Amino acid sequence: MPNRRASRNAYYFFVQEKIPELRRRGLPVARVADAIPYCSSDWAKPVSTPLRKPGMLVPKQNVSLPDMSSLSLKSDQALLGGIFYFLNIFSHGELPPHCEQRFLPCEIGCVKYSLQEGIMADFHSFINPGEIPRGFRFHCQAASDSSHKIPISNFESGHDQATVLQNLYRFIHPYPGNWPPIYCKSDDRARVNWCLKHMAKASEIRQDLELLTVEDLVVGIYQQKFLKEPSKTWVRSLLDVAMWDYSSNTRCKWHEENDILFCALAVCRKIAYCISNSLATLFGIQLTEAHVPLQDYEASNSVTPKMVVLDAGRYQKLRVESPGFSHFNYSNQEQRSNTPIGDYPSGVKISGQNSSVRGRGITRLLESISNSSSNIHKFSNCETSLSPYMSQKDGYKSFSSFS
Amino acid sequence: MSGRARVRARGLARSPSAAQGGRAQLSPSLTSVALSDNEASSSSDFVETSRISSNCKDGVSSGNVGSTFPERGVAISRNFVDLEICTRQKLAHVRDSKTGSSGIPVKLVTNLFSLDLPQDWQLYQYHVTYIPDLASRRLRIALLYSHSELSNKAKAFDGAVLFLSQKLKEKVTELSSETKRGETVKMTITLTSELPSSSPVCIQVFNIIFKKILKKLSMYQIGRNFYNPSEPVEIPQHKLSLWPGFAISVSQFESRLLFSADVSYKVLRNETVLEFMTALCHKTGPSCFSESCEKQLIGLIVLTRYNNKTYRIDDIDWSVRPTHTFQKRDGTEITYVDYYKQQYDITLSDLNQPMLVSLLKSKRNNNTETQLVHLVPEFCFLTGLTDQATSDFQLMKAVAEEMRLGPLGRQQRLARLVDNIQRNKDARFELETWGLHFGSQMSLTGRVVPSEKILMQDHICQPVSSADWSKDIRACKILSAQSLNAWLILCSNRTEIVTESFVNCLRKVGSVMGFNVDYPKIIRVQENPAAFLRAIQQHVHPDVQLVMCILPSNQKNYYDSIKKYLSSDCPVPSQCVLARTLNKQGMMMSIATRIAMQMACKLGGELWAVEIPLKSLMVVGIDVCRDALSKEAVVGCVASVNPRITRWFSRCIVQRTVTDVADCLRVFMTGALNKWYKYNHDLPARIIVYRDGVGDGQLKTLVEYEVPQLLTSVTEASSNTSSRLSVIVIRKKCMPRFFTEMNRTVQNPPLGTVVDSEATRPEWYDFYLISQAAHRGTVNPTYYNVIYDDNGLKPDHMQRLTFKLCHLYYNWPGLVSVPAPCLYAHKLTFLVAQSIHKEPNLQLANCLFYL
Repeated sequence: MPNRRASRNAYYFFVQEKIPELRRRGLPVARVADAIPYCSSDWAKPVSTPLRKPGMLVPKQNVSLPDMSSLSLKSDQALLGGIFYFLNIFSHGELPPHCEQRFLPCEIGCVKYSLQEGIMADFHSFINPGEIPRGFRFHCQAASDSSHKIPISNFESGHDQATVLQNLYRFIHPYPGNWPPIYCKSDDRARVNWCLKHMAKASEIRQDLELLTVEDLVVGIYQQKFLKEPSKTWVRSLLDVAMWDYSSNTRCKWHEENDILFCALAVCRKIAYCISNSLATLFGIQLTEAHVPLQDYEASNSVTPKMVVLDAGRYQKLRVESPGFSHFNYSNQEQRSNTPIGDYPSGVKISGQNSSVRGRGITRLLESISNSSSNIHKFSNCETSLSPYMSQKDGYKSFSSFS
Repeated sequence: MSGRARVRARGLARSPSAAQGGRAQLSPSLTSVALSDNEASSSSDFVETSRISSNCKDGVSSGNVGSTFPERGVAISRNFVDLEICTRQKLAHVRDSKTGSSGIPVKLVTNLFSLDLPQDWQLYQYHVTYIPDLASRRLRIALLYSHSELSNKAKAFDGAVLFLSQKLKEKVTELSSETKRGETVKMTITLTSELPSSSPVCIQVFNIIFKKILKKLSMYQIGRNFYNPSEPVEIPQHKLSLWPGFAISVSQFESRLLFSADVSYKVLRNETVLEFMTALCHKTGPSCFSESCEKQLIGLIVLTRYNNKTYRIDDIDWSVRPTHTFQKRDGTEITYVDYYKQQYDITLSDLNQPMLVSLLKSKRNNNTETQLVHLVPEFCFLTGLTDQATSDFQLMKAVAEEMRLGPLGRQQRLARLVDNIQRNKDARFELETWGLHFGSQMSLTGRVVPSEKILMQDHICQPVSSADWSKDIRACKILSAQSLNAWLILCSNRTEIVTESFVNCLRKVGSVMGFNVDYPKIIRVQENPAAFLRAIQQHVHPDVQLVMCILPSNQKNYYDSIKKYLSSDCPVPSQCVLARTLNKQGMMMSIATRIAMQMACKLGGELWAVEIPLKSLMVVGIDVCRDALSKEAVVGCVASVNPRITRWFSRCIVQRTVTDVADCLRVFMTGALNKWYKYNHDLPARIIVYRDGVGDGQLKTLVEYEVPQLLTSVTEASSNTSSRLSVIVIRKKCMPRFFTEMNRTVQNPPLGTVVDSEATRPEWYDFYLISQAAHRGTVNPTYYNVIYDDNGLKPDHMQRLTFKLCHLYYNWPGLVSVPAPCLYAHKLTFLVAQSIHKEPNLQLANCLFYL
């Protein structure tokens, strides 16, 4: 009994699914073991399901990533130098589908980024949302209050939409010719796209930007480097972190002054930080202040000048060992090992020994983490035992068949 | 429907249905019939209760309220849908009897009243068609009702479906009428079905009948409940008045049809929007008046007294005045002033006020255009309490004193309602024509199950009161606790001194309860969320067991950012304490005790236990709520992982779906079973799942969708003997209330009272349990419905086990209203939905990090 569950692999479940069919064929199968001989030929066949098409098992250039091939990132160097733009536009809520105006753009943020250089430039502006459709003031007000808190009227900083769009084009595209790829998070894509189109209509500038998702970009970079596809869960957890929320020089001036977390510029900058922190390090890039807000961590004593350690001794020793935001990397690493779906490529571990990280700051921390990671398994045991059973996909499948 | 000031904003195109309504010219006399006839207007409730917005959209009806369903007969409203799910008949062990026997019998009075019908009573459902087809529902009703054949019969009609208590002579009756315009309309009334009194459609018709009756007692329907504006309770010092009222329903209980009523209040402010605006204008001055006016008013709910309807202020239209005109449904232009004079005979005094705009909820399919109404501020009364008011202790106390009726007050109010119904001639007539007999108040026998002993580490204590045993266990050691060696406290400069004394206190109470607390590292930070977060990022390393933050204020920012970082990015248990709490004089010891207990739990400790006779039992709590920002469904699941039911595995899953139905239960259950296996080297023999957060009408989905998920994971976990599963749905809000009669007065029933007869439903295996103490007001029983049961426990054992589980919530040393796993699941989903907005890290799943 004890060890049998651990031995269940994909083949086990495959055979288990086949059992009813085999019984229908009249074969004497009582258990999985009986059925194995009948299934091996089917196992070898390429399978086509809604989630998996034949041939996807082989790691190859994914069709959903045309952007990567267009960049012709044949080498690390090209990938490192490649420039991406992260864009986000905030709206005063979303109006119901029957309204002609679905969004009221009010803030835009954009960041020019490369793995090598980090954030090279940024663009931020408030947008005049225009007249609020009669009757929707409450709706818009409530949406704004729960997120970015930009006033829906009488807000002096809002520029008119044509100017903002022009400035954005100028920022993204200084020289006419080919457009660089623009990325936003997949959840925001519909809104950003709609707002761009809407603003273009207002300003009569016709310029179709192609908007791609950051998630695909991360997958692409990852695939390029390691020839393996990371799991969506891993990508999402990579992009969705809270640690930079209050970092200095991340939000726009207005949101910083009013201490509001939701800021279009901050969203873009945080994407850059996350990619720098998790991907750029894999390329062995030395992180600079343009990659992540290092200054907050290096100059820590000026931030909390009067730190008092009442209990001296043991803690101080520990502090020397792992200052900074070490824990973040550690948790990230842990998360990878216990995220339910998928296998992780070997290269994913941020371990100090074999990666070619150099320099100061984070990289030094990474080493100390990987050294100390042996004593932090206090919680990890449960998830590893979970993983063979995590059939989340099944759950979703059955839901769709239900509805 | 002209009884509603529904005015289309000018300039907007009119919807097709409105045009139709205008086309069917109503003769004045017919209009007055429809308006004065309560039956006609009440039949609109008939549709209002039908909440199914399903596929049966018809082209016939175009009344203002909802649609009719000629094809399918009648749509059953949500809470009646549940009644069609007969789960009990599948459970062999309770098919004959679902009542327990242990405990001391107690006589209980209820808020239920018997409703008797003749033995052979039947309801006749007819379908009515019109030639030529009429769009206006009111016209259809008026034409039909004017017929002598129907005039003295008890009837309910919504424009297409007609209900009668007496059968018409013919199966198909043809009638004809003439409209004021001289058109002849032929009506065909066809019998479609004969319904016994237990059918859900009948139940719904009974509810309509009682709505009519309450209207005859001059009560007004606001929302779902009925209020009596003529007897308001005034709280003059706060400019408030409370309208007393009732929530009522009729339904089929265990052995008979019962009418239930519960007291409800509507809070109104004695201030019109115009008065509010004038006061605001004086206060702020004209320069920024419109801005601050919008800020303060938009989003508030107002009540218009002329029709007793509520609206939300969605916008303020500063360009429209009462002297401006609007287009009525029939196409004529009229000014607002004249409209109100004509329609309601009320006169406007201020002709320069702006108009409020409210967005009407479309009851039809959502693809129609938005409907706006303009409201006159002078006629709009503010309702509800502002945030400012709710934080006013005196005001809330005054309101609570009125609204929290004790059992006696409640009983008196019920008696008066019943008296009114029986004395009122119209009401009695209505009941009689339908053949209904309104009977006496129900009393029944409940049982008080024995109280539980609390098991501590080396002591078994029998609490004086099971509502709160904090004093009883003060000197006892908790079951187990991890020693707290490496931890941090973050505090601001101002709170440093109090923090230090708090730490000393914590260590003292910790040692008494057997929870070793070492001296923490105290870090002083500036008073802003960024500084807190940064300090956490700097100082939390893998060895830190717990982070405590002394928050300078209860701004949501502090809590959210700390919890978000420490629950998902960097999984470490955290404890936030408000500095204000620590400054309370003379409370330090008790505060420290509670916090020490919470901290012990957050490290995976166990506080106390109760005796669980079943060996190898896993209990699971599931709750679902909505994310505050993204509106995604947040599913929290908590399962016990030891036979003593003191250690928990908690997981929260954010679903990107719009339904409140969990579709991740397999993942969770498999994880929980694995965890159980790891600790106990076997699978649990029994699993009992308590599911909270279920809305009306979701029972079917639960039975057909969630239970199979749980079953699959349970059967998959083991190939030979799988664990036996039970699923119980919990409702914290239910209609019945119970009181005990003692010395000629009524009181709340004692803790542990179980009711499993009379007030229950015949088609379910259900019971009520009172497991919470109400210090003031009337206690609310918790309703349990066992929808799936493989365990075959005797009802007695199921009830007592449920009661035992209500003792195990570690955040409160006393009984709680629902079984502990459910409350844990609720606490977890609340944290995720309100603060962290994403799934917490699985490394925390072994401890109650969300307490």
